[in-house]
Order: sequence, then structure tokens, then C-alpha cells
Amino acid sequence: MAARFLWASRVASHLRISGAQRGFSSVVLKDLKYAESHEWVKINGNKATFGITDHAQDHLGDVVYVELPDLGLSVSQDETFGAVESVKATSDINSPISGTVVEVNEVLTESPGLVNTSPHEEGWIIKVELSDACEAQKLMDSDKYSKFCQEDYAKH
Amino acid sequence: MDDVQEMRSPGTLHGASPSYTLGKRRTDHNLLIPEAELKGLGAELHYTQRGGDITFHGPHQAILYPIISLRSIGIGARNYVETLERSMIEFASVYGVKARAGHKGETGVWVGDRKIGAIGVRISSGITSHGLAFNIDPDLKYFEHIVPCGIADKEVTSLRRETDDMLLPSEEVIHEQLVSCLAKAFSYDDVVWKEDPSFILDNQEEYKD
Repeated sequence: MAARFLWASRVASHLRISGAQRGFSSVVLKDLKYAESHEWVKINGNKATFGITDHAQDHLGDVVYVELPDLGLSVSQDETFGAVESVKATSDINSPISGTVVEVNEVLTESPGLVNTSPHEEGWIIKVELSDACEAQKLMDSDKYSKFCQEDYAKH
Repeated sequence: MDDVQEMRSPGTLHGASPSYTLGKRRTDHNLLIPEAELKGLGAELHYTQRGGDITFHGPHQAILYPIISLRSIGIGARNYVETLERSMIEFASVYGVKARAGHKGETGVWVGDRKIGAIGVRISSGITSHGLAFNIDPDLKYFEHIVPCGIADKEVTSLRRETDDMLLPSEEVIHEQLVSCLAKAFSYDDVVWKEDPSFILDNQEEYKD
């Protein structure tokens, strides 16, 4: 039998998936900037640190593996630079801002769970040297990101 | 406005080439025989970018790859995987098989301590690839050459094994039932089947060093 494709359509207004809808309750830190793909950035002069947000780690489940990029790699805003694995799913992580990788959090290799328990501090993923500081303007501040996540919850 | 999503079923139920696949972590220490011996078994080894550990795919499994935009339905990896698990559990119950989701760290679908359904997914820009494999009646001996999903000391089972003397319908019917369970779990209303005889397994990216 040949391989088969199935297309399914879904009326967007349908309430999908069972499970109680809970209100948005993730932690959002004020001094960070945020990307729509749920990464945070802390900018310090011409260096920046990234990680994934509390909202993201909550949606992923327990992280068992973090794929870190090589030092010296050029990363571009909104492009994939690594991945995390949780519940048998690998999810790509996108770069919130462009630059060159100058440090990676090697501790995550032994303790990937830090991404869940401390997503904004010990669970930081990489540090880069910025190539274009103006790109930060495209990012959201904490209020905008909170609102973005809340709308996400409300929609679905 | 409708969301249209896609499901691929590369496992041609009767003709899938037996293969062992590894995930992004490349846990090849869980292949218990040398790669050179695989040919003798009539099997291949593939490396993929999905999550999860080593598994086996072969004839008489239902292998389904939903391609879904998680962002458009507002869920993340954990919810998605739980939905896949729920679909397989519901499907098993159609045959009176009481399956359950895995305990923490044991993603998949189990009957008692025996694994009947496996999951390994990749999410890229919010879009899923790879998916699940449900054992209808594969040759379970193939699983003896691996530590399935990296979980030692647990058996692998199949719908055939768990339904004993029951007369099962054709695999095509079984396959469609599983797809219906998936569609229902994701709240899809409309299901359209298309055939593509030239389908290439482009969801299984392959690379070796």
C-alpha cells in the first residue's frame, strides 16, 4: 500500500483539547527583553545572554537535553541556533538577536533541568557578542511580553 | 477560518523496511548489536532530528507523522505529546486494551509495564514533524536488539499480543481508526485522504558523520 496523506481541517473557533484552562501565571522579569518565540535576552553593552522564558519551559515539560551551538557560531535574529529536548520532543530554539556565540552554558549538559527550575538565571543558554544593537528594538519589553502570553492563553 | 493540518503516514503497513532509528541525542549505545549485523536482520539504521531514544519501525506498525502548527492551536510540546498519548490510549480502548501514558520520563503508551506505542517528535518554528508508532502486530523480536527508547527491563507489546484471540480487522481499517482518534483529539472536523505513491520520507532527515 502506498504511503498516504491525510489533511484535516479544523474550525479555529472550536475549543480544542481537554484540560482545565488556567490563567497566565508564568514569571516575567522586568529587566529582560523578549521574542515572540519565547526566548529572553539580557543585554549588557555589546554582549547579550539568552535563554527561554518561564512560559516556554512550562509548555515544554521536563528538559532532558540541551543542544548547544559551537563557540564562534554566527547567530541571526529569529533563526534557529540550538534545541532542547523534553517528553521525546526536540524543540528548536531561535535567536532573539544576531551576534557571535562567545559562551555557552556547559552546565546544561549535565543539568538540563536548570532550564525548567531557573529559566532566567542558572538556565541561561548562550552569550553572544551583538552584531546589531538596533535589533533589540524589535523585541518586546516585559509588559508587552506578559500581554502577549496572556493573549495566547485567552485565544486558546 | 479553517486551520488545515497534515498527517503523513510513511509506514506503508505491509512494506515498511525494517529500520532502527535514533533521535537527536544519537544514543547508539542502546543498539545492542554491531551495526554491521543489521543487514543480516534485513534492517537499516537511520539518524533523525527527533526527540526520544532508539526505536524500531517495521511492517505491521501504524506510523503516523502529524504536521501541525502548534502555534495555531496554542499548545506546546508537552501538551502535544500528551495529546498523541491520549489518542493512542483511546484507540487501544476500542479493542478493550487498557493502556496508559508513561510515568515521568517514560513518554509513550503502555499496557501495564509493556510498551505498545512510541513517540518521537521534532518541533521547528512551532511546526511538528515525526510523530508516533503504534504496534499493531510487528515482529517483536526486532526489539530484542535494542534498549527500546532507552528504557531497560521493560517489554514491548502489540495490539495483537494484547488482544489474544480477538479477530482484528484489516490493518487498513485499524490504521484509519487510529487516525480518527488523533483527529478527534485535536478537534479536527474534516478528514480528507490523499494517496501519493511517490512519497519520499523527507520527514526523516538522515545524517551520519
